[in-house]
Order: sequence, then C-alpha cells, then structure tokens
Amino acid sequence: MSTLARTADRGTIVRVVCVREWRESLGNRLLVGMTVFPPLVILATGIAAVATAALVPPSEKDVAALYAASPAVIGLDPKDAVQGIIATYFLILFMLIPTVVPLTIAIYSVIGEKSARTLEPLLATPVRVGELLLAKSLASAIPAVIVTWLAYGIYLSAVSMLGSAAAVRAVTAPRWILAIIVMVPLLTLLSVNLGILISTRVNDVRVAQQVGGLVVVPVVGIGILQVTGRVVLNNESFVGTAIFLLVCDVLVFLLARVAFQRENILSRWR
Amino acid sequence: MGVVLRTERLVKRFERLTAVEDLDLEVREGEVFGFLGPNGAGKTTTLRLLCALIAPTSGTAEVAGFRLGAQDEQIRASVGILTEQPGLYERQSAEDNLLFFAALFGLSPKVARAQTERYLRLMGLWDRRTEAVATFSRGMKQKMAIARAAIHEPRIIFLDEPTTGLDPDAARTVREFIAQIRGEGRTVFLCTHNLDEADRLCDRIAFFRRSVIRIDTPAHLRAELYGHATEFRILPSPRPEHLVTVQAVDGVTGAQLENGSIVVSSADPFLVNPQVIRALVGAGAEVAYVTERKASLEDVYLRIVEGM
Repeated sequence: MSTLARTADRGTIVRVVCVREWRESLGNRLLVGMTVFPPLVILATGIAAVATAALVPPSEKDVAALYAASPAVIGLDPKDAVQGIIATYFLILFMLIPTVVPLTIAIYSVIGEKSARTLEPLLATPVRVGELLLAKSLASAIPAVIVTWLAYGIYLSAVSMLGSAAAVRAVTAPRWILAIIVMVPLLTLLSVNLGILISTRVNDVRVAQQVGGLVVVPVVGIGILQVTGRVVLNNESFVGTAIFLLVCDVLVFLLARVAFQRENILSRWR
Repeated sequence: MGVVLRTERLVKRFERLTAVEDLDLEVREGEVFGFLGPNGAGKTTTLRLLCALIAPTSGTAEVAGFRLGAQDEQIRASVGILTEQPGLYERQSAEDNLLFFAALFGLSPKVARAQTERYLRLMGLWDRRTEAVATFSRGMKQKMAIARAAIHEPRIIFLDEPTTGLDPDAARTVREFIAQIRGEGRTVFLCTHNLDEADRLCDRIAFFRRSVIRIDTPAHLRAELYGHATEFRILPSPRPEHLVTVQAVDGVTGAQLENGSIVVSSADPFLVNPQVIRALVGAGAEVAYVTERKASLEDVYLRIVEGM
C-alpha cells in the first residue's frame, strides 16, 4: 500500500506555511489594523507636521530653542531648519515601526496555534521545526518591512513636494535610505525572532506580550542610537552594524529553534 | 498480511510518570486495530510516540517500515493522525485547510485538489468547501480532521476517539469511512472508548493500560471469557423438567432459566445445539426461536481492564 506523500521541496513548505499565516492574519482585523494603523498615523502626522512647518513660520522663541538644541543648524534659515529637524524625527519613528508592530503577530503565530490546538496536526506532517519557525518569522517580518518601505516612500514623496530643501536633504540622506533599506529588515527580523522565541516558551498571549515588550527595548535602543548619530553610520560602521544585527538575527533564530521542543509543547500545553 | 507497525519494549516517561511501559505490539497491514483502555492509560501518548511526535525514553519501534527516532520525517509522511481535538484553521475554508496539509505532505497542486475533492465528498462536506471551518458543527469539524489525516493516503491512519461527541449520522459516516479505508488495504489504529464501535469495526483489539494487557479478536475475547451461550425461547415458558432435559444433553456445560428462556452454554454450539433442540422437542417443549447470545465487549473490557 503506497502513500501519496512525497518529500516536499523545503522552499515550498516555507512558502505554503507563510501564505497560510498571511491568510490567517488577513482574516484577523485586529492584526491587520495593528500592522497598518501605526504606519498610517505616523505617516499622516509626519506629512502634516512638515506641511505645517512650511506654512507657519517658527516664532523667535522656537528658533532660539532649536539653535540651542541643535547647534549644527545655526546659520540655516529657521524655517528650513525646523522642517529638516521635524522630517528627521519622523524618520526615527519609521525605524521603530517594524521593531514593534510585527511583535504581536510573531508572538501570536505560535501561541495562537497552541491555543487553537492546530500545532499538533501541523507537527504531525513532515515539516521541520526550522522550516516552521522560518516561515513564521518571514510571515511576520515581510508585511512589516513592506508597510514601512511603502510609508517611507510616500513620506519621501510628500516631503519632496511640501518641504524645504533642508527637509528634503534630511529624508534623502544616503544614511537614511540605507538604514530604511538594510537596517529595517534586520531590526524587524530581530524583533520577530525574539517574539517567536518568547512564544515557544510561554503559553499565555498576555505574558508573552509583556515579556516581548521588555525584550524588544534593546532592539528599539539600537534603532534610536543609530538614527540619533550615537552609532555613526559611515560606511565602515554601517557594514559593522548590519553584520552585528545579522548575527543577532541568526543567533536568536537558532535559539528559538532549540527552545521549540515538540514534546514540551504537545505534552505540557493544556 | 505483513506487519506494518512493530514496537519492542517501548517506554515513555515524563519525569517521574511512566506513561507507556514495555510496549510490545504488532499491527498487521490492512487491519483495523482497536486500542482500548481507561482514561489516563497512555493511549494518546502511545499514538504520539508512534507518529514520531514525541521521542521514546527507551525501546524501539518500526512504523510503516521506518525506524522511530532515526527516520521520523519518513514516519510522519507515511502516517496520518486524528488528534483528540480537530485543530483546524477556523478562519479558513474547508478546502484551504485540506490543500494546506496536502502541500505539506508534498502532494502536487493537481493531486492535492483531486484528493481534497475526494475526501470532502466522502465526508459529505463538498457543498460547504468554501465556507470557513468556524461555521461548522462539531461533527463536521471532526469529519474535516479525519479527511486531513487521510489526504495523503497514509499507510497507517491513527484515529483518537473519532466518533466522540458526534451525532449518530456523523458517527455512521466516520464508521463507513473507516470500513472504506480498510477495504483499500490501509491500516487503521483506532483508539476508542466506544466498545460497540470497536466490536463492529476492529479485526483485533488491544486492551491497554501503560502496556498491553491482552490482544485478540473481539470474538475470541468474548468466547474465551464467557464461552458460547445460546438462548432457547420456550412457549409459553420453560418448565423445570425442560431444564433437566437440557442439562442431560452431552456437551452442555451449563444451563439456566432466564426470562422465559433456557440459556445453554457449551464448548461447541454447532454440535450441541441441534441435540438440545431435539431433546426439548422430545420433552414436549414449544421452541419459539434459538438465538446466539453474545457477551458484550463492554463485559470483556470491564473484566480485563477494570478488573485488574
């Protein structure tokens, strides 16, 4: 008696699990909202702030405070300088979106399966733990990265149309473009993998989110340090930071893979 | 019939608790093998072991020709399991649920679609294939979960309490399905508390509590424990001399009056019953009918498992 089962192509397994995760997420309005709403709010607020700064000149008091806080902009036209600083601050928020937003999705991707009792049938297939976790990691990370990139693209266009030369220079600085293109996916993966690591060991969504909120702080810190110039992104340090994040991504993923014990999950989950 | 599943001294311990102890088992290709035991006996743990979901503490097993521990992925590809809970993706349609699992088992999209249609039709769910599983009743979900376990045509299909909580109609569909896959030569490993179901469906039954207490066919188990009994209904009712007549027949090992009948036990009813009938008629008894009296599997179960 033969079985129809064949060893599926490993890539196919990852793709199939990934697509299923997206379908599941798309059916959950709360999750969709949590992915799309924060970038939309930040985008709308950012564009409105730059537009307002372009329309309403800063007061003398504002300019004095600005020069005191950022001596580097002394000598620039105050209106330009204010727009440049506002544009930069919103870019920082864009860097933080993908570290926070996909965390809930990542945590839910394992704990949700535990509580819905769907994990046992899934683990009874020839899927390997590494493939399962990779699929879940990518399924959480890819939408967050795409949404961030889209939001950044729209922000870039809007600032280019509405903002001053200083604002345009700020948002199109190579450091920022590279950060958005390279660092955003790496930071997202780190956050997501931490979320998955937590959810393999915790059985309660609320506990996982609380732990996740703490664990993600260093990730957010890395983002903040980077964008505020504490980590100077010249070519050398940029590559160094990227490699550091990549190593962290891989290490956390491997740790999650080790922590994901089929036996514990099946026999201790009640 | 070849052996499709064999375990030798299989043990599973969870810290201080021994869930499975020295399990020796042989299941033949194409049979429906019943696995009966009380709650907490370790049946589900055994199923998880045999499906390579958890690792044994010691002992060896060969499932569908693959070694447990060394070829777990191949085992998982060769078996199907119905878990205690249906565990379906509730937001997704019945069709999408099955297509997803078919893809994980390496079925090509064309084969996956054909298999999905086949099993949804078999389970009477084809007309609701595009509906979210969340809208399904408990019975429909259970049938979906069984279809999922069989979608890749596994050599062995493990069913953990497949008809628990189902209405009679859904339970019958599941029993018909089990009969059908057995007809296709596949092996069914059936964990159940439904003794009537086990009696009707299983070729052999194992009584289990941490390890196998007894394996045999349902008929042998009943016969060995209770012998062969036959009920002779006498009109209007049997008289004491009828009982004496029956007791005098060669080969009768026991006879008693019971609710208007004489219940006769013998080692070989085919030989003894015609003599009993002749003797009763000769004694003037009006024999209305003769019925084989079966001990229920429940009696056997209670005596073997609960009587321990």
